[in-house]
Amino acid sequence: MKTTKLLTAVLTLIGTIVLTSSCDFDYDLPEEGSIPDETPPSANFSAAQSDTDFLLYNFANLSSSATTYEWDFGDGNTSAEIDPSNTYPDEGTYTVNLTASDALGATSTFTMDVTVVEPEVPEAIVPVVLEGDFEDNSLPDGSGDGRDSWRNDFGGVIQITSSPVQSGDQASKYPSDGDRVAYQEGIAVTPNTDYIITYYYTLKTNNPGSVTLTVLGGGITDLSEVESKKLVDLVGMDQADADTYTKVDLSFNTGANATVAILITNEGEEARVDNISMAPVPE
Amino acid sequence: MKTIKYIALAFLIGFTGACEKDFLEPTPESAISSIEYFSNDDEIETGVIGIYDAMQGINSTSLNDNRGIQIEYYVTEMRSDNTRTKSQEGEAAQFEQYNVSSANGLVQNYYRSFYNVIYRANLVLDKLENASEAMAPQFEGEAKFARAQAYFNLVRLYGDIPLIDRIIGPLENDVAFTRVSTTEIYELIVSDLEFAADNLGNGEFYRASRAAAQALLAKVHLTLGNYTDAQVLCESVLSSGFSLEPNFSDVFYNEGNNEVIFAIAYNPGVETDSQDFSAEWLNGVGRTVGVNYVTDEAIAAFDEFGGDRTALSIRTDPAQPTQTQVTKYLPNGEDGGADGKTFSTDATLSGNDWIVIRYADVLLMHVESILAGGQETSAAAALASFQQIRDRAGLTDPVTSISKTDLLNERRVELAFENHRLFDLLRFGVAQEVLSEFSNNNGYSFGATDLLLPIPQSEINLSKGLMNQNPGY
Repeated sequence: MKTTKLLTAVLTLIGTIVLTSSCDFDYDLPEEGSIPDETPPSANFSAAQSDTDFLLYNFANLSSSATTYEWDFGDGNTSAEIDPSNTYPDEGTYTVNLTASDALGATSTFTMDVTVVEPEVPEAIVPVVLEGDFEDNSLPDGSGDGRDSWRNDFGGVIQITSSPVQSGDQASKYPSDGDRVAYQEGIAVTPNTDYIITYYYTLKTNNPGSVTLTVLGGGITDLSEVESKKLVDLVGMDQADADTYTKVDLSFNTGANATVAILITNEGEEARVDNISMAPVPE
Repeated sequence: MKTIKYIALAFLIGFTGACEKDFLEPTPESAISSIEYFSNDDEIETGVIGIYDAMQGINSTSLNDNRGIQIEYYVTEMRSDNTRTKSQEGEAAQFEQYNVSSANGLVQNYYRSFYNVIYRANLVLDKLENASEAMAPQFEGEAKFARAQAYFNLVRLYGDIPLIDRIIGPLENDVAFTRVSTTEIYELIVSDLEFAADNLGNGEFYRASRAAAQALLAKVHLTLGNYTDAQVLCESVLSSGFSLEPNFSDVFYNEGNNEVIFAIAYNPGVETDSQDFSAEWLNGVGRTVGVNYVTDEAIAAFDEFGGDRTALSIRTDPAQPTQTQVTKYLPNGEDGGADGKTFSTDATLSGNDWIVIRYADVLLMHVESILAGGQETSAAAALASFQQIRDRAGLTDPVTSISKTDLLNERRVELAFENHRLFDLLRFGVAQEVLSEFSNNNGYSFGATDLLLPIPQSEINLSKGLMNQNPGY
């Protein structure tokens, strides 16, 4: 009996030892008890050109769930910063690559082309006055009767004269009763810029009269709006010689207007206007 | 038996008749209920006042209350290079250090406060059919102005956000929690402000006016790069009868002065109608030990560009001479005596109005619209507007050309601590450059993703997966 007890004790001891050592076995099966990377990195960025150096780009890292970043700027330069900047050697298109990684080794890549161009100093628009010389077939498509661009609802259509003219074959004519009006809107200009409008006029000499050219900001739908939209005007009253044109240069600033309009009216005596042109004042 | 039948029938009829809505949901006679309210002009006007009340926010030490515009400096000025906390402590210091947590209570409170403004505006818009023909455009204009102002602030602070342009029910989670693109938000802002500008008149500054709507719309257009639109609006406001106060101090301490285009009203001593930011900006006068203290960088800017404005905008903290305080909104105009903390009135119940839009801002926006994204301008109209601001500050040398940097510096010192600086840096496209340098010099942790606040974690949790967090949080 005693032997049995002893044997049992020894066996138990051995068993315990065996069991204990067997606890070293690795029970962790792959994937068992672990969860997938539910927030893998997502790479994203934006790039902004510097105001002062057009070759310098500042990058804004918009990645999420990432801890390390590898940038390839496409010109051979690289960086591991979060929000790096890079100075490119020259103008051109560069493919920028951002690889974002998290601490588990998951990665995400975002690629964007950056086009490096020196910003042009914006030059003032040179306005185009259609049929400014009132010649036939002078519209850009080769059509037109010299006054198509000047028709409007404010007065009768202007007449065309062939003598006297300032140049070419035709000029515009405004009979003495003043019921004909020339109006052209939508002339594109650069806002807040000084321009000069140049034109020629002449008046007959039988009665006192005048011819008025007004430059308007934007456009009008009724003549009552002229005062509020007027940028500049000139009342031409030179009646020295009915056959000699008087040259007028009017300067104005376009202010908060991306387009201007021209309005021509007359009073008291027959008038003629020719060769209207507009140009920015040279700096 | 027959009698019982009749009795039963009578009961049945009795019940059928009684089961109308009125019986189960009677209109209370001794209290106001939302069902029947907003039925006439007077009642709808109280709804309109309620919108301004939501902007005004609650003067409270609990972030469970909507603090409204009273805590705006935390999420704007203290995230710029103008101000910081005095002691770099707590939730407030997350803003200057650029490590804002998505659980930050101020971030959540601002978001909730301004969606409350939007809710109250939508409520008025929902009840417009009960307004008289004469008053409906006025109410609609005011509600839309307020809604646009709230969205303009939210979209610049949080990025893509839910677009709620009507009263929504508790089950419309897809509307409440779907983030829509900033482009769509700006479309609503522009159309709301265009309506307000077309339908409101001038003459009020505690309520929305035509000039206020035009000025705000000009700022929106500058943000979107529509410079000619902005210029037209600025020029309209500039000819609306407002002017610069000759004395800079009067802008802030002579309430109702002719420079103010739109302000949020506060009254001193009244818990429900006062503000606490005047106290918070001082040394241990409010609940904090001091927030919105002036950075060394802002002091340097004042030294260089401030002119007469410097002495009227900042001062050395009397109790702690190494620190610098803001003096644009001293509690009820009192300077706090020798220690800077002694007041005859309760500073935590201050009555200083909060100026949202003033004429000087419009003059500088006018310059910005003419600069039109360029580097420099010498256009006469821009010089004239710029010179007015400089002249008042005692800087009377004639200006012959204005660079983008000149304009940004001028805005910084003219409008310092009025919650413009962060938005100016963003609009001028220099926020990342300027704030990176500021952060490096001070050992903060600015990154490009800090230009947006996190969506409050509470909103993300409520959205049940509909809302994603902004990158970097």
